[in-house]
Amino acid sequence: MAQRFDAAGATPAANLLSRVFTWRRRQLIVAFLFVLPALINFLTFRYIPIFEAAYASVFEYSLLGGFGDFIGLAHYERMLTDPVLWRAFQSTVMFVVYKVPLQIVLALALALYLSRQTVGTAIVRSAILTPMVTSLIIVSIIWAMIYHSQNGLIQSILLSLGLPKVAFLSDVNNAMPAVAAMMIWKDIGFSFIIFVAGLKGIPEMYYEAAIVDGANRWQSFRHITLPLLRPIMMFVIVTQTIFSFQVFVPIYQMTQGGPLDSTKVIVYYIYQMGFRFQEMGYASALSIVTLVVLLTVSWLQMRVLKVDE
Amino acid sequence: MAADLHPVTAHTPAARVLGALGQVLRIAIYAGLCFVFLVPFVWMVFGGVRAENEIFANLIPFSLRTFIPIEWTLESYLTVLGMNETGRMLGYSFGRNLGNSFFVSTAVVLLSLVFNTMGAYFFARLRFPGKKYLILFVLATFLVPFEATIVPLYVVVRSLGLHNSYGALIVPWFASPFVIFSLIQFMRDQIPYELDEAALIDGAGYWTTLWRVIVPNTVPGLVTNGLLEFQFIWNLFYWPLISVTSKEIQVLQVVIAGTLGQNQQYWGRTFAGSSLATIPVVVIFLLLQRYYVQGVASTGVKG
Repeated sequence: MAQRFDAAGATPAANLLSRVFTWRRRQLIVAFLFVLPALINFLTFRYIPIFEAAYASVFEYSLLGGFGDFIGLAHYERMLTDPVLWRAFQSTVMFVVYKVPLQIVLALALALYLSRQTVGTAIVRSAILTPMVTSLIIVSIIWAMIYHSQNGLIQSILLSLGLPKVAFLSDVNNAMPAVAAMMIWKDIGFSFIIFVAGLKGIPEMYYEAAIVDGANRWQSFRHITLPLLRPIMMFVIVTQTIFSFQVFVPIYQMTQGGPLDSTKVIVYYIYQMGFRFQEMGYASALSIVTLVVLLTVSWLQMRVLKVDE
Repeated sequence: MAADLHPVTAHTPAARVLGALGQVLRIAIYAGLCFVFLVPFVWMVFGGVRAENEIFANLIPFSLRTFIPIEWTLESYLTVLGMNETGRMLGYSFGRNLGNSFFVSTAVVLLSLVFNTMGAYFFARLRFPGKKYLILFVLATFLVPFEATIVPLYVVVRSLGLHNSYGALIVPWFASPFVIFSLIQFMRDQIPYELDEAALIDGAGYWTTLWRVIVPNTVPGLVTNGLLEFQFIWNLFYWPLISVTSKEIQVLQVVIAGTLGQNQQYWGRTFAGSSLATIPVVVIFLLLQRYYVQGVASTGVKG
């Protein structure tokens, strides 16, 4: 084949090849442009804050005063002997313990009880889901009034029944359970929806077979429903634990961490440190440790509860 | 159906009474559940349209009068909207803050649907080397605890000069791992590959294919995700609380907490303001409940 070599020394075949190549490359660049905005967003607002916090945590740093001296791991050492932090950690765990198990049991009970498709269940379902779509701060404001020690709605019910008043948010022992109860009321819809969907996914024939075999309702629940619901249950437990561990809004609005620090949870403590006490360096160190604790907790839960993909 | 396999005994009189009792019990439980979940809202909505002293005067005995106003009045609303003397004096303009809430939530939803749809299309359809590492980069953000990293997020937003602006309320949220993941699933499961492949063979570019072929077929997924996103942004509190200090651009939720929640001596105003922040999302939810429930359910089932 006698081919004419042009100045650049490329055959038509090579020319075509390089044109295909640049076309492919352009296609790749175009493709990448589709995902680029999202990637930049995640990098800037999800990943960089973590590095920023790690960086700020080894400095004296406040929003007003800016960066001060490099102090190495002093903030982390301070945590080891910070009695308020230890109490905040305990309060946070107590909140999770009050809230998560009860919420999951109640949500599952409601999902089972309301599984029939009637007008009645449809209305009740909408009612259960209403708190879920409302803003947490509004719900906290309203519930602070419901719990109010003088004019609260609950006091009104108690007095009308001839019972004595009860202090909720102003009582050291009652404040945390009261906040947890409110949060169960608020969040139960999420778990409820997921359980309803999970129950729908269990084939009816399993239950029919069990009845033929003479199983009663409890046995069906114990040996069919629970095992088949297990992956979903694990998902709900892990996510609810992580969310509950980060409770902030109701504490900020209803108790400000009181009375006597009994409801001062981790995230509220971080907020106080950074914005009230102007110790952003220490607040950043606390954020990093909380992040590590949460990642560890969810990893452990997934290992222990054996969540399969 | 399953119950039919049990021996049927519902024809004796005793069983019929028992069945009726069961029915009554069921209705009572339903009513009790509705009471527990709705009563705070009923109290709030009616409390906003009655005179201040009426709220306290009718607390005991606990009855319908505890809720239903004797004299209906819009005074509390006029005050919090800054439309009467008291409201202007106190500097309330919840109307503006309500507008801010709507503007911010809508802007985030629109941007989020554009950019997350593009991202999802990339992951669901386009060929790219190392795509599985990129998806990992996206999905790992699921693990970043939200409230725990708000303070560092503020430090970043501040250093970008975005703090105390609409940008602070909108820009950090226009991409969401949840929305991307959910839309990837939707495109993979619901849209046949042949459809967009045909468009590409016909010479349409990725961009045209996405908006002409993929998006029209993804509408239910977009509605679901837009709805969840709207509710998520509308209900944010901690983030606007720290990132925005100007009352002019602040969202309604934060202003209510700041001006009413702290010293709750005027309950009528708190009720009125809270109703303004609540009724729009509840109405939207009730209208689009089906999409909403699908969206939440899919988070659990897909895990």
